[in-house]
Amino acid sequence: MILTGEEIKKKVKSNEIVINPFDENAINPNSYNFRLGDYVKVYKNKILDSKIKQECEIINIGKDGLLLSPDILYLGYTMEEMGSCSYVPIISGRSSTGRLGLFIHITADLIDIGSINHWTLQLHAVQPVRIYKEMPIGQVTFWKPFGDIVLYNGKYQGSKEPKESQIWKDFL
Amino acid sequence: MILTGLKIKSEVYNGNIHIKPFLEDNLNPNSYNYRLNNKLLEISEDVINPFSYAKCNEITLTDAGYRLDPKKVYLGSTIEEIGSDNYVTQLIGRSSVGRLGLFLQITAPLGHIGSKHCWTLELKSVQPLIIYPNMKIGQVSFWCVEGQIRFYNGKYNLYNEPHISEFSKELTNE
Repeated sequence: MILTGEEIKKKVKSNEIVINPFDENAINPNSYNFRLGDYVKVYKNKILDSKIKQECEIINIGKDGLLLSPDILYLGYTMEEMGSCSYVPIISGRSSTGRLGLFIHITADLIDIGSINHWTLQLHAVQPVRIYKEMPIGQVTFWKPFGDIVLYNGKYQGSKEPKESQIWKDFL
Repeated sequence: MILTGLKIKSEVYNGNIHIKPFLEDNLNPNSYNYRLNNKLLEISEDVINPFSYAKCNEITLTDAGYRLDPKKVYLGSTIEEIGSDNYVTQLIGRSSVGRLGLFLQITAPLGHIGSKHCWTLELKSVQPLIIYPNMKIGQVSFWCVEGQIRFYNGKYNLYNEPHISEFSKELTNE
């Protein structure tokens, strides 16, 4: 079952859900709007290889925003540190950003229970679109789990910035 | 409610969830990682018509890897047969793979209850990307249902390899 906005608010207050900083105005009927951090990363290589560690470079988002090109993947991050040891978060875009053709994750919406981070956003624009730091760019929903819980303790835990893929470790 | 990794494990052993072959190491807190099989289909027509059977090139993935072209969608397959008569399966990517800009499905993550087979993956990369057979490329989650169940008995149930769209049959069956 999906938590309502009012339930999310209650669970934040009881510390069963972490949203930091938390803004009550960002609560929706079934979700919470999160905002975009102030820089993104792009891979230095145009051609990516899953087996090889890929280096990135940082692009700051200035006051005039950043124009996204459709042929590049950008790794952004949420301003908020978020997560829960009691509920499963799922992120999505907002219909306002979807209507601009902006993906904020690439088929990877499910967040592991126990993962508490500034989440990495995978930004892809269908057409060139300008994004701005602190824009409410996506939303998170929280879902009840069924079964005994083992909390996430993986590669990306504790992230405070965009984290590039570490899938190359699977090939070691 | 979404099943935890421990619940997925116990339901696989109880026979209520079908994942074959099943590797406990591939369990996550809320999902199970599936692997990429070694066969891809690449649609070879410039313009795709949903009312006719699209022509495809068959590609065999090897340990040398294969580079995906961002302008194309490729059909791959899971190594595992996956599904359940008790829970709804959702098939998505992994964040490690999303961070490389690879879509594993094109807005169609929902599996029908009762559907148990190797799943066709809809692969699209934002940048050119080299992929390899057997890589842990995505994850499945399982969800409790409410209401009377009627099992899937449709077009794709019989296939254990990448399978092209059969949208054209929806028109001819009218």
